Amino acid sequence: MNWIDKQRNIVDFALSSLLRRWRKNLALLCVYTFVVFIVASVVFFAEALKRDACLVLEGAPDVVVQRLIAGRHDLISSGHMEKLARITGVSDVKGRLWAYYFEPSVGANYTMVVTEEAAGRPGTVAIGAGVSRTLLAGQGDLIAFRGHDGAYVSLEVARVFPSSSELVSADLVEISEEDFRALFGLPEGIYTDLTLRVRNPKETVVVADKIRRLLPDTRPILREEILRTYEALFDWRGGIVLAIFAGAALAFIIFAWDKATSLTLEERREIGILKAVGWETSEVIVMKSWEGIVISLTAFLLGLVLAYVHVFFTSGTLFEPVLKGWAVLYPRFQPVPFIDPYQVATLFFLTVVPYTVATVIPSWGAATIDPDTIMRQ
Amino acid sequence: MSLIVLNGITKIFNRGRPDEFTALSDVSLEIEPRGLAVFRGPSGSGKTTLLSIVGCMAKPSAGRVLVKGREVTSLPDRFLTDIRRHTFGFIFQQLHLVRGISALENVILPAYPSGEGLASLRERGVRLLDLLGLAHRADTNVEWLSGGEAQRVAIARALINEPAIVIADEPTAHLDTKLSLDFMAAMERLKAEGKTILFASHDPLVYESTMVDRVLEMRDGRIVAERRAS
Amino acid sequence: MRLRKSSAFIAFTVINVTGLALLFAHGALERQRQAPVLSEKKIMVERFGLTDLCLFTDARYTRNPAVADRSTPFQDNPLSLDYFPSGSILPPPPHLRAHELDR
Ligand SMILES: Nc1ncnc2c1ncn2[C@@H]1O[C@H](COP(=O)(O)OP(=O)(O)OP(=O)(O)O)[C@@H](O)[C@H]1O
Ligand SMILES: [Mg+2]
Repeated sequence: MNWIDKQRNIVDFALSSLLRRWRKNLALLCVYTFVVFIVASVVFFAEALKRDACLVLEGAPDVVVQRLIAGRHDLISSGHMEKLARITGVSDVKGRLWAYYFEPSVGANYTMVVTEEAAGRPGTVAIGAGVSRTLLAGQGDLIAFRGHDGAYVSLEVARVFPSSSELVSADLVEISEEDFRALFGLPEGIYTDLTLRVRNPKETVVVADKIRRLLPDTRPILREEILRTYEALFDWRGGIVLAIFAGAALAFIIFAWDKATSLTLEERREIGILKAVGWETSEVIVMKSWEGIVISLTAFLLGLVLAYVHVFFTSGTLFEPVLKGWAVLYPRFQPVPFIDPYQVATLFFLTVVPYTVATVIPSWGAATIDPDTIMRQ
Repeated sequence: MSLIVLNGITKIFNRGRPDEFTALSDVSLEIEPRGLAVFRGPSGSGKTTLLSIVGCMAKPSAGRVLVKGREVTSLPDRFLTDIRRHTFGFIFQQLHLVRGISALENVILPAYPSGEGLASLRERGVRLLDLLGLAHRADTNVEWLSGGEAQRVAIARALINEPAIVIADEPTAHLDTKLSLDFMAAMERLKAEGKTILFASHDPLVYESTMVDRVLEMRDGRIVAERRAS
Repeated sequence: MRLRKSSAFIAFTVINVTGLALLFAHGALERQRQAPVLSEKKIMVERFGLTDLCLFTDARYTRNPAVADRSTPFQDNPLSLDYFPSGSILPPPPHLRAHELDR
């Protein structure tokens, strides 16, 4: 077909034009691929964690009630439990016992949690894979915990949670209520906070309101709010993603600016020649667009492939320092590849369109010169 | 019928500005098909300007240009480009080949937007280069070509769209005598094929050549004298 | 005749698109394969009554952002420079901002 042949001819010329300045264009391609790679990695990573969080935290309690004293979270007593249980629509009020525990020998923070299951096996703990890694402790080993009175209590590791669940369990130490209370010196009837179920999901907001009125020293946290916390955390318009986006956007702007303002004399001359030998302005612009498309499309595809491999095969190694922070104990997990096609499409438009436009605009001026100017050079 | 008719052509540069300059004033001229015409005259007399108007590269400030009987001065740029592409082949004084690509690619460059398949384009390009004795250099990058070879590439490029008219501005200005004679020989062949050829030149080797049919003397933007070969 | 440049580009692009499609297919398979792991994690969350993912363990308010209170440093300003690096990349939970007025 004529149109296709014409485009292919023009693409041929655009490619030879790129190859002529292959050093510069290769450098551009690398930089651009890198920018796409970083942004796409962040988008993939954030989306995967967000979906993971949403699915997994569906299992979170309907409502968590925490007591605040003088602006701080404080322990809550069973008196509050009874009052809560009397609210209509509320069922299953439970006291939650959990604590942060700092292990000075390795400088790690654990989260100690009490479960009903653990009650059956006092003197033992089940630990997350992260804890096991930092303490080099496996099943059957003894771990010494320093109690509230300074005395050490040794508990045996009954089980290590599977590594596949690290995203929720890496720093957990599951302990029986008896051991927990003894370790931290907590009397019976005192809990870290309370959880409750609401029979009708539509009523949670109403229930939360009632709780706030009935127990003014507490605050209810709804599951929906928990989910939204994670949505906000991994939303690509906020948090981590925005921080990295801002960097990438800045890199791109500098880069596009450089392109837009730097049409070399050689390139100008070439456009002049094309005009003089009978190319139309529109054909010159189509040719320049192809130049932009070739670079940006290639960068987009390569960047995306690399990002996918980076995030879902190597677990986002480059993000590790960011996620680790100063923590000694950090989760190791392989994100589940949840990909939002809408984000991929957006990324496509954000990569290919601005770059192509940035390539075309400076050529526009050069392409509208009168063809006869070349006769005077 | 005349191939090209110029009717009262005036070209004013920078009109309305202090540096306004009338490069052509009221030039009328008819160019018949076939034959070789040379515009000669001192520097600044308007030869290049006239050629660019004849070749539909520039629009006159006043007057009308007819190509094959069709009025082109009022046409929009797109159509003008189309007419130019199919009617004229240009050989520039500085050649203006695109560096970094092969001789053959340079030759077929003007025909890319026509939508002709690359295979047939290359075939035609090679044939043209062959006619000019340059087939063996087809795949050489143009910057490695000698001056004479480069000029032959430029000639082949001017011919790729099979134009009726070939326009060359000072074609021999940068050539030594031997290369100039080679160039004229190539033009003679084109003339024999029935092409119309227009030169601007102040090289005696060109305008005194026996193959020239018509010499138009220019001065201060006007045609002041005309000599036709008998 | 040598390979035409545009053909080479088209071939290269097709290879890239195919590669990407294969990766996305891998993604779909992996999602299926990981479904039991996800539900296992969900069960764990239910069993422990967890409110948070274990992403950061360095500070309280980044270990448990969902139940963090107002008086944590990162509440001042999202992306504020924080004592803990994790604090500077965590935005405050939306419900803390929302309830500010009615409390
Ligand atoms: N774009 C322009 N703006 C202003 N003046 C111009 C422009 N182009 C040409 N001129 C002037 O028009 C006059 C005629 O120019 P032209 O190039 O046609 O002369 P020429 O006969 O080809 O001269 P030469 O033999 O030196 O090539 C010159 O004086 C030139 O300075
Ligand atoms: Mg001139």
